[in-house]
Amino acid sequence: MELMSHSSAFLLPTIPPDHRPSLTYALVVLNQRLPRFTPLLWKHAHLHLCADGGANRVYDEMPLLFPHEDPSDVRSRYKPEVIKGDMDSVREDVLGFYANLGTEVVDESQDQDTTDLHKCIEYIRDFTSDIDKSNICILVAGALGGRFDHEIGNINVLCRFSSMRIILLSDDCLIHLLPRTHCHEIHIQPSVEGPHCGLVPIGMPSKSTTTTGLQWDLDNMEMSFGGLISTSNIVKEEKITVRSDSDLLWTISIKKQ
Amino acid sequence: MPLLFPHEDPSDVRSRYKPEVIKGDMDSVREDVLGFYANLGTEVVDESQDQDTTDLHKCIEYIRDFTSDIDKSNICILVAGALGGRFDHEIGNINVLCRFSSMRIILLSDDCLIHLLPRTHCHEIHIQPSVEGPHCGLVPIGMPSKSTTTTGLQWDLDNMEMSFGGLISTSNIVKEEKITVRSDSDLLWTISIKKQ
Repeated sequence: MELMSHSSAFLLPTIPPDHRPSLTYALVVLNQRLPRFTPLLWKHAHLHLCADGGANRVYDEMPLLFPHEDPSDVRSRYKPEVIKGDMDSVREDVLGFYANLGTEVVDESQDQDTTDLHKCIEYIRDFTSDIDKSNICILVAGALGGRFDHEIGNINVLCRFSSMRIILLSDDCLIHLLPRTHCHEIHIQPSVEGPHCGLVPIGMPSKSTTTTGLQWDLDNMEMSFGGLISTSNIVKEEKITVRSDSDLLWTISIKKQ
Repeated sequence: MPLLFPHEDPSDVRSRYKPEVIKGDMDSVREDVLGFYANLGTEVVDESQDQDTTDLHKCIEYIRDFTSDIDKSNICILVAGALGGRFDHEIGNINVLCRFSSMRIILLSDDCLIHLLPRTHCHEIHIQPSVEGPHCGLVPIGMPSKSTTTTGLQWDLDNMEMSFGGLISTSNIVKEEKITVRSDSDLLWTISIKKQ
């Protein structure tokens, strides 16, 4: 079984040049309060999309993260390339502001079958041509908290695009999929994440999951809702390995700086 | 609690809102807080030896097994602060719904509520439109659903399959004041709570 390697290097101030795998980051901003490290994600990303009301968040809240700077300067600096979605949340004035600066506005209001995040992932997968997509990793800010149906819809996007690297982020934690098709190595960045972590069999029970590097490692363990799932676990080593017969969600806490 | 009653004396508020029990592994509760409530007669149940279950799980078990002075035949457990924050905590709380699937347990946050619709029953959900909705969802937690049928929603399901990786019902809208749900699988029901 092929190995898939994961790391939260995108939470570091600088990504080490010899860091592997070498990934191209894209950022999608959803309509929740911006995580405090959003400027850092923005810096690492080559492509910046706002999903509908996510544009309001960038417009309103980026200046708040730079309280000593002129809001107009901050807004010009943090200008998304694309605003996409069904446009039922983004404010007219915000849309106009970014359109004037050259942001592409892609109105998908005719499509009520998929979430705004789903539309953004599809857009990145199908239409972006000026970035290297062979090793793309999509960072999603504001993916958690708020309405639970939104949150679980975002988690379902991870499952629907299971061959893509997509990481859901909030101020408190991150979540990404560990597809069953691979063995996984998760390289922990202890300065920015941990120690609290968990493994969740989303959608299907797992008959067998085995881990190394956790305080409570799993050894050929069954996991299911209604039975055991691994929550409030602790990372013990800097490399965690996970092998499972089922798609799992990996979640780890993000340290407050 | 005192912050929710800004025009009252904090001590009055605290005396009025005194829990009967504080339970868990005690790794978060402050010493001064524990002392304050112990002095007022709150029972403190220290379960720090049990690291296998969450604090919520311990509390549900306590209510199920030890409380004798309330009518338990029709008990419904409301859980405040169950959502948001660390995802592993949130999903652990959701798993408590699944582990105690024969009990009525409702997870609540400022934004929404979640409870289980066990597959053993047909369900009628009576909407209180002054306080909840219209955004809602149905989630096949833990197992795919081969067949779910609903009435009363904007996008009703008709013998529909649901699964992670495929369709789940999110960003749905309640249309009628009575929603019905029938499924071969345990589902989570979630509905938004209105900001007052």
